[in-house]
Amino acid sequence: MDSKLFWFIHFMKSRTDYARYDDEKLISLITQMQEGALAQLYDRYSRLVFSLALAIVNDRATAEEISLDVFMRVWQKAGTYRSDQAKVSTWLTHIARNHAIDVLRRRAARPDQQAVNWEDALPTDESPKYDPQESAELSLQRERIQAALAQLPEEQKQALVMAYFNGYTQRQISEVLKQPLGTVKTRLRLALQKLRDFLRDERDAEKKSVEARSAYNITKKE
Amino acid sequence: MSDEMHVLDLLPAYALNSLETDEVRRVEEHLFGCLICRNESNAFQAAADQLSFAAPDAVPSPELKVRLMQRVQATHPQSRTSVQTPSGSWLERLLPAWSLASLFFIFVLAGFNLLLWQRLNHLETVTSPGRMRAVPLSASEPTSRATGFVLISSDGDSGALIVDGLPPLGESQQYQLWLIRNGQRTSGAIFSTDEKNYGGTRIRVPGSLLEYTAVDITIEPSGGSSQPTGARVLGGPLSTP
Repeated sequence: MDSKLFWFIHFMKSRTDYARYDDEKLISLITQMQEGALAQLYDRYSRLVFSLALAIVNDRATAEEISLDVFMRVWQKAGTYRSDQAKVSTWLTHIARNHAIDVLRRRAARPDQQAVNWEDALPTDESPKYDPQESAELSLQRERIQAALAQLPEEQKQALVMAYFNGYTQRQISEVLKQPLGTVKTRLRLALQKLRDFLRDERDAEKKSVEARSAYNITKKE
Repeated sequence: MSDEMHVLDLLPAYALNSLETDEVRRVEEHLFGCLICRNESNAFQAAADQLSFAAPDAVPSPELKVRLMQRVQATHPQSRTSVQTPSGSWLERLLPAWSLASLFFIFVLAGFNLLLWQRLNHLETVTSPGRMRAVPLSASEPTSRATGFVLISSDGDSGALIVDGLPPLGESQQYQLWLIRNGQRTSGAIFSTDEKNYGGTRIRVPGSLLEYTAVDITIEPSGGSSQPTGARVLGGPLSTP
């Protein structure tokens, strides 16, 4: 009877509003094996994880399996997350990218270098299951990185794609592109330096804008 | 010094994970003792991390979440579904306790009704005052002692399965619940039973459970199958008589 009652209670899952919790709180609830927290984290980041896996393996079914494995790993290893080392979204994309590149290497085949189509990297129709605020934040981040990548010369962008989305080493890129290793190293270095500087400038500008708005509001109140 | 400059040059590729193994070792040995390079490396890593947002936006199929939650249930049947918040006001802390107590009381009553139903062995759908439905399942083999029922919430969004009399399977096999609609079978749960031949699990399917007309339970390889492949052990119609 006791175990039956357990299942009745289990069935009547309290529909707690997990949406009000931030990512770190969700991770902490997942360590307590609360599936609702995992479901909420999935709603927030499955799109990001799936998009990344798909860009790497270029196959929907495989990308779904990878996404499934990523969230199962979160379910089983949430206790290993360290908030002082990375944001939850970064942790998830690290797991997803590493796993997807492992899959690529196991298959010993890679998608075309052009599998990632930058022009396609635009938001698609919004699914109602996704948190609108989170979706808006992800869209903003997408726009920022798109703007940063648009500043790069084509050959630097190509080297970045091959390193990040195809999992090639510098040496492999040099072999595929038939370019000297030194040239590839320079392209990758310049590309990531520009990306870093662009994102840093943008963050500084955003910070100044927030400070200016805050100062304006204080003056207005006085 | 020249070696240090060389390591600095390698940091972008290190952040992109595109160095050869010996280069990775050299960079890591250097980073261990150099705070400046470590900071530089972190900045490159943060920039590289942003590249994940450059992947073309794509949406996984709705079934993926269902599969995830089924897998969670299959691997951790004791997982909890309620939130226990350590912080918050006394009222906030008390509310979940009251909710749980109320739920418990409701289900003691519901459980009592269902036990009565089991004793009377009426093969009819039990409908609780809250319109929650409990649909009995019958064994495929007349000699089998397997019984069970499917619970469906009034809105059809939540469901649970309880079975009795199904022996535990070996590590290589699990029971799988299928929901049937227009002759199509959709996996609703993958589960195991305990040494008392008893088991229970949540049912997760795309859409509402009210859209399905019948259920089957079959024996499948561990982790479940995409379509039934094994023997049917339990089943029954879901539609209200």
